[in-house]
Amino acid sequence: MSEITPKVLDVRPILRSGGEPFQAIMQAVQDLQPGQALTLLATFRPQPLFRVMEGRGFDHEAREIDGGDWEVLFTPKKDAAPVETSVDADRPETWPDPSEHLDLTDLDPPEPMVRILAAAEALEPGEVLFAVLAREPLFLFPELTKRGHQWAGNFDETGSAYRILVRIGEA
Amino acid sequence: MPGATLSRWTMSYFAAACLMLVAGQGLMVAGYGYPFADISAPETLVVVHLIAIGWLSLLMAGALLQFVPVLIARPVIGGRFAMPALLLLLGGLGCLLGGFVALSGALDLPLALLPIGGVMLLAGFGLFAGILAVTLLSARPLPLPARFVATGLAALVGAALIGSAFTATLSGFTESPLLDRLVADGVALHAALGLGGWLSATAVGVSYRLFSMFLLAPEVERSTSRAAWWGASLAVGLVVVAVVFVLSGIFGAALLFAAALLLTLMAVMLYGADVLHIYRGRKRKQAELNICASFAALGLCAISILLLNVPSLRSGNMVAAVVYLFVFGWLTGLGLAQLYKIVAFLTWLEAYGPVLGRAPVPRVQDLVDERHALILFRLYYGAVGIAVLSLAAGTTGFFRMAVAGQLLSTLCLIREFIRARRLSIVPAALRAPAGMVRPRLFLPLSAFQGDK
Repeated sequence: MSEITPKVLDVRPILRSGGEPFQAIMQAVQDLQPGQALTLLATFRPQPLFRVMEGRGFDHEAREIDGGDWEVLFTPKKDAAPVETSVDADRPETWPDPSEHLDLTDLDPPEPMVRILAAAEALEPGEVLFAVLAREPLFLFPELTKRGHQWAGNFDETGSAYRILVRIGEA
Repeated sequence: MPGATLSRWTMSYFAAACLMLVAGQGLMVAGYGYPFADISAPETLVVVHLIAIGWLSLLMAGALLQFVPVLIARPVIGGRFAMPALLLLLGGLGCLLGGFVALSGALDLPLALLPIGGVMLLAGFGLFAGILAVTLLSARPLPLPARFVATGLAALVGAALIGSAFTATLSGFTESPLLDRLVADGVALHAALGLGGWLSATAVGVSYRLFSMFLLAPEVERSTSRAAWWGASLAVGLVVVAVVFVLSGIFGAALLFAAALLLTLMAVMLYGADVLHIYRGRKRKQAELNICASFAALGLCAISILLLNVPSLRSGNMVAAVVYLFVFGWLTGLGLAQLYKIVAFLTWLEAYGPVLGRAPVPRVQDLVDERHALILFRLYYGAVGIAVLSLAAGTTGFFRMAVAGQLLSTLCLIREFIRARRLSIVPAALRAPAGMVRPRLFLPLSAFQGDK
C-alpha cells in the first residue's frame, strides 16, 4: 500500500532569524492528515522535540544532511487510532492534496458538521477537504455518504483531535 | 462503517414517557396512592410503576436507542425491534396497572392482568435489552460510558425478572415459599435494581459523554471514572446476591444491601468529582441550561444516596421522602433537562440535516427559548423540594400542592418540547429553507427512513 507523502516543514529560516519554531511545528502536527508523517528540517538535532513528539505518538528518525543541518522524519506509531473510512472510500492515500483546510476544534457540536458540509458544497467533484475537530463527527458520516462524498478519518495520536479528509463526489 | 443516524422510534418513546409522567403526577395531585394510601398499597404501586416504567424507563430506553451508537461509534443492530418493544412495554404496563387496580378492589378487573403484564413487560424489556446487548457486543472493547450502559442493562433484566415473579405471586398464580420470601423481603432490592442499577447507572454513563460534548471538554477515561463504574457494578452484583439470599432464606441480605448502598455512595462521589473535572476543563465559558439543570439533579442524587445510607432513614415516612427525592430530583430532573436539549438537537438534525451547507439554517439553540425554560426548571425543582419536605413532615395537603406545581412545570416543559418539534420558536426567516423536512410530532416520517 502506498503511503501519503510526508508533510515537509522547514524551520531553518525561523531558527536563522532567531525565532522560536515550536508553535509552527505543533501547528503542522495538528494539520497532519490521518496516518501522515512529518519531515522537519532544522539547523541542529532537535533533541527536546523528540520527547514531545514521542508523547504525541510519533517515532523519529534523524539524519544529518548537507551543511550541518538535520532532517527528522516523524512517523505516527503503528498503534495509533486506525483510520476509519466510508465504504466507498478506496485508497485515500491516492487522493489529491486537500484544497481546503478547516480548524473546527473550538466549535460547539453540531457547528463543525455545518461548516464541513458548507465547505463541501463549495468544492468541485474530486477535490478534497481536510478538517480537524474536537471529537468524532458521528452524525456527519451518514450525511456525507448520503451526498455521495467519500471520507477517511481518525483520532490524532493524543486522542484529542479528530482529522477527516472528505473527497467530493459527483453529485 | 462508523456513524450515527436518527433513531426512528426515539421520539415515540419520549412522547409516551411524557404522557406517563403527566398521568403519574396527575394521580398524586388527585390524592391517589401514597401518602393518601399505604406505602405498599396497590394504589401506590400504580403510581410508582407509572413513573418508574412508563416515564423513566421509556425515556431511558428511547434515549439509549439514539445515544448508544454515539457512545460506541457504531449503528444499532436490530433497530427494527424498537417499535415492537415499545408496544410490548406499553401493553405490559397497561396490564400491570390494571392488575394493581384489580388488587385494590376499586374496579372489578381480572387479577390475571397482573401476570400477563409481568410477562409482557419482561418480553418488552428483554427485547429492548437484547437489541442493545447485541449492539454493545459488536463494539468490544467497550468505552467506559458504554460499560455503564451494560451494567444498567444487566440490572434492568434483574429488576424485570423479580418484578414478573412478584406479579405471579401477588395474583395467586403460583404458590411458592421461595417467591413469598421474595415478596416479603425483596421489594427494596427490586427498586434498587430498577431505579439505581438500571436507570441511574445508564444515566451516569450517557452523561459522561453528553457533559463533555456539551461543555466542549476533552474526553479522557480517568481512573476515578473507572472506579465509579466498578463501584456501581459491584453494587448491582451485591444486590443480585442479596436477591439470591432472600430467595434461599439465607440471613444477610440486609447487610449486603447496606454494603451496596455504601458502594453506590462512593461511586456517586467519584462521578461527581469527574463531572466537576469535566466542568473545569471545559472550553465553553457559559454552560447551557440543560447542563445547569442536570447539575441540580446530580446534587440531589448525591443528597438522596447519602440519606439512604443512614439506617434510620430507610423506613417509614423518611424512606418515602428520600426515594421521592431520588426519583423526582435526580432521575426526573436529569431526564427533563436532557430531553430539553435532545429533542431540540434531534429535531434540528431531522429538519435541517438534508440542507446543511446548502442554505442558511437556524442554530440548535434557535429551536428553544432558554429564558422561558429556566423559569420552568426553577419552578420544577422548587416544587420537588417542597414535596419532599412535606412527605418527610407528613403534611399531605402541602404535598398535593407541591406536586401540582411539579405537574404544571412539567406540562409547560412538554409544551416547550412540542414547540421545538414544531419549529415554532425558530425565526420565521430561517424556519423553512427549501429542501428542509418538517418533522412529525412523535412518529418517524416514513416506514423506510432511518435505521433498518
